[in-house]
Amino acid sequence: MDFDDNPEEAEYRAHVRALLEQHTGELLHGGAGESLDPATHEAEFRRTQRVLAEAGLIGIPWPREHGGQGGTLVQQAIAGQEFSRARIPTLINHIGLGMCGPTVIAHGSDDQKERYLARLLRADDVWCQLFSEPASGSDLAALRTTAVRDGDDWVVNGQKVWTTLAQVADYGILLTRTDPDRPKHAGLTMFVVDMHAPGVTVRPLRQMAGGSGFNEVFFDDVRIPDAERLGEPGEGWRVALTTLMNERVAIGGGGSDIGVPVETLAAHARDRLPALGPDRQVLARQAVGRAVVASLATRYTGYRRFTVLSQGGLPGPEASAGKLAGTAAGRLVADAGVRLLGDDAVYGAAADGDDTWQGMQAYMPGLAIAGGTDQVLRNILGERVLGLPPEPRADKSGPFSGGTR
Amino acid sequence: MNFDLDVDQRDAAAGARAFFTGSASPAAARAALEGGAVEPGHKALADIGFLGITVAEAAGGAGGSLLDLAVVAEQGGAVLAGPSLVTAARAAVLLAGVPELAALLADGSTAFAVLDGPVDGSHASIDAAGATLFLGLDGGALVVGAGEARAGQPMDATRGLASVRLTDRRVLREDAGELWARARQAAAVVLAAEDLGAADRAVQLGVAYAKERQAFGRAIGSYQSVKHMLVDAWVGVDQLRSLLWWAAWAADAAPDEFPLAASAAKAYAAEVFERAAETLIQVHGGIGFTWEHDAHLYWRRAKVDRLLLGDEAEHLDTVARLAVAGALRA
Repeated sequence: MDFDDNPEEAEYRAHVRALLEQHTGELLHGGAGESLDPATHEAEFRRTQRVLAEAGLIGIPWPREHGGQGGTLVQQAIAGQEFSRARIPTLINHIGLGMCGPTVIAHGSDDQKERYLARLLRADDVWCQLFSEPASGSDLAALRTTAVRDGDDWVVNGQKVWTTLAQVADYGILLTRTDPDRPKHAGLTMFVVDMHAPGVTVRPLRQMAGGSGFNEVFFDDVRIPDAERLGEPGEGWRVALTTLMNERVAIGGGGSDIGVPVETLAAHARDRLPALGPDRQVLARQAVGRAVVASLATRYTGYRRFTVLSQGGLPGPEASAGKLAGTAAGRLVADAGVRLLGDDAVYGAAADGDDTWQGMQAYMPGLAIAGGTDQVLRNILGERVLGLPPEPRADKSGPFSGGTR
Repeated sequence: MNFDLDVDQRDAAAGARAFFTGSASPAAARAALEGGAVEPGHKALADIGFLGITVAEAAGGAGGSLLDLAVVAEQGGAVLAGPSLVTAARAAVLLAGVPELAALLADGSTAFAVLDGPVDGSHASIDAAGATLFLGLDGGALVVGAGEARAGQPMDATRGLASVRLTDRRVLREDAGELWARARQAAAVVLAAEDLGAADRAVQLGVAYAKERQAFGRAIGSYQSVKHMLVDAWVGVDQLRSLLWWAAWAADAAPDEFPLAASAAKAYAAEVFERAAETLIQVHGGIGFTWEHDAHLYWRRAKVDRLLLGDEAEHLDTVARLAVAGALRA
């Protein structure tokens, strides 16, 4: 047992560090999360990813024929760790890299792969994922956006929502209903949609934390050429599962903290504890201790998953526990951070205007919903890891148009 | 990175599982509440060599790491075995400089117990009830001696808890505060390992019953209310295993990280085991609340262990103090 890189991993890490050092002047720096908004710093975000791509640090596990590096998931995880160490913000095309790109690789035509993948890696095009709708969140297959065949095109009408990065995106993968007379999972088809096409309207939604990272997207008679279909008509659910499985790999974690790193909380506690009364310090240390323990438990569990990757394995369904527990730990860390502010804890920012902790506190509820709600993750773990039976379902066999939803 | 047990440790765990499954059980833990013997008992643990895993080879031990001992202790915890390997771990640290006594620990010819609190009237101490020689901290010095043990009414009879008054004492080492603290951290890690094994088993038992028991026409494990309760217990166990491995590894490989890791593992074990045991009862319904069912034996162990060797509040405070002082791994 050890926590050290093996020789190949150490060599790769040194390689990544050297490249980041070499290009540091061309890269954006600044924390994770919402501190830097891709919408207001779009050009710098795109440039950062392009520089990293040209250095060979983007699309590491993608096949070389698609512009990737033909590397391993471990190398990808190491690069991710080094990006956060260098305080490079989440890449502008993280949705494209983690989900859309792998879906195009698995289901796209040669022509689509040729046109899209290299540009995606360089953030010449930014991508978004158009799945959730007002009436279908966790129950994705209940979606209502329709695509109707018209000559060589499909005509799309409907609405998507919670679409991260749609306000800057050039393309999206779009899940639609093409055959309402079949059962809900069987009548879906996936497309690549041009976000600049006539009839596409993007409206940013303000989130409870104040930022506008996600959007609602309206489709009014948007024409998509049949050549932009991903997979066969009616196969959209299978294509979407590819996307969702890649999402799990993307968030499966290699020991990175969700939310604020626990070291940041420790430094914050060192600064703020002395200002609290002695009795209050005792209580605050309980909150800090609990947050540190939960956070370390998640981090070291991530190291166990990372070890599986390092030995050539793939993440299993237990990876869902990383996001579930990481979100819970992140809440404890954010809450402890706010408590340490004393009288400032009830305000939206400290007296000096710093709202880091309040902002993180307000960001955490979203993490328990995005990318699989806590409840969906518990179902996945209960059914696929513990082997408990699923709830009986009445929505799988009848036609969607007949009310079986 | 290789954060996993090695082949030898996996083999040791499998061997320990076979031994403990054949020599201890929740049924024995139940019988012990009514005066029966604690199983497998001190002699059997000595004979198979588990008491000397972390004792130096020169003193007749196996010279193993705390992680080697922890993977064995986890298996003992799963079947509520006693006496606890906590004492073996703790005494091995305290007696590292006293090979003639370490040899008596390793070969089992003397049943040691380590006393918490004052030696002329200790706090309830693990396996003091069946011990013949006691180690304690007296005015900063490590002492050894015989004593009179007074046991209270047990909540969990497998822990052998008793308060002890030393009737004679001999100083083994002056100024032993640091050694004492390290020994207590090792003990906390092994207790957390036994809790991990017990909590893991409690979740397995709960899951098995939830697949089998029918209500309203289907298995109760299909209901999300039941399923999610079991998942939360399982996630806790899975995460505790990570903290426990890290802490046990750090004892030998990263001493700077050990105090924080040990307290983190102990604090988290208290919470995780309690949740697993309470979930086990709840999933079973009425049968889980009976004397005959095993659930309450895990629950008893959880309710007692959470308070031994420092409760959750103490260890959370330690974690916070150390983290604030800069002890987190970069």
